[in-house]
Amino acid sequence: MPPIQSAELKAVVEAIDRGLLVRLVGTADLRVTDTVEQLLTSVHQQATAGQVSEVRVDLRDLEFMNSSCFKSFVTWISQVQELPESGQYRIRFMSNPKILWQRRSLNALSCFAAHLVTIEAAAN
Amino acid sequence: MAECDLGFCELSFQQRPELVSVVRRFVSDFYDRTLCDPDVSSRLALATHELLENAVKYSRDGKAKLRIEVSSRGSNAHILVRTRNRATAEDAEYVQNTIQEMRGSPDPNLYYLDVIRRNARRTHGSGLGLARIHAEAEMKVSVTCGKGGTMTVIAETDVELNEAALSVRGVA
Repeated sequence: MPPIQSAELKAVVEAIDRGLLVRLVGTADLRVTDTVEQLLTSVHQQATAGQVSEVRVDLRDLEFMNSSCFKSFVTWISQVQELPESGQYRIRFMSNPKILWQRRSLNALSCFAAHLVTIEAAAN
Repeated sequence: MAECDLGFCELSFQQRPELVSVVRRFVSDFYDRTLCDPDVSSRLALATHELLENAVKYSRDGKAKLRIEVSSRGSNAHILVRTRNRATAEDAEYVQNTIQEMRGSPDPNLYYLDVIRRNARRTHGSGLGLARIHAEAEMKVSVTCGKGGTMTVIAETDVELNEAALSVRGVA
């Protein structure tokens, strides 16, 4: 998938060792709801086609995410939950402790799918 | 108690969704300077963003108003975030039902998790905004519908003023 380069949000997907890295920078709000949904749909397709074991999502430079974009993550995780256990991959969020909404929102995702989601707090 | 003695701001919007994030940054700074607590500021900024975005997105005429009031109650501050728009009867009914259901649930976090599960495959709207305000921002949410389809949504909470905030007020 080509990188997303809008004024409010930049997103890049890269292949890494046995997985994918998704990096989001900027603000995920009303203006990019469809873009984020399409991005995560594409990531899921790449992850299942490539039989990866983990997708890392780097949110360390994501200033804010609204509930519509947050919901796209919920939908993505639920798609992984619906895969046969052998095809499921883990999702590791890299968060920034200085961006305070991330702790609560990512904790909610972790509670939603504790067996799939890992949160890693790491400042830049 | 003096009304809004710690500050208030009021903003009117036309259909400009890109301004919602601008407002979030502005009010975040306002909360920082008034309450001197980054965690509280973050929670309130999240609630303000969600309420305003909904008010703009679901406004029948593209207009929305935001008012924020911060008033002192002893060593606490009461923060009220209010949005007003003209909503369709369907949207107003949805918000009323959602808030009624939310307030009937004893635990905001368990309710939020339940809403996340139920709405995972929903295609129209996230259905998460109000529950997110209730759980993540730790705010009580209410709604009033008036004449001409006017809908007012309020999120409010009390927070303890820390030494820095009291110092700003000249109390400490």
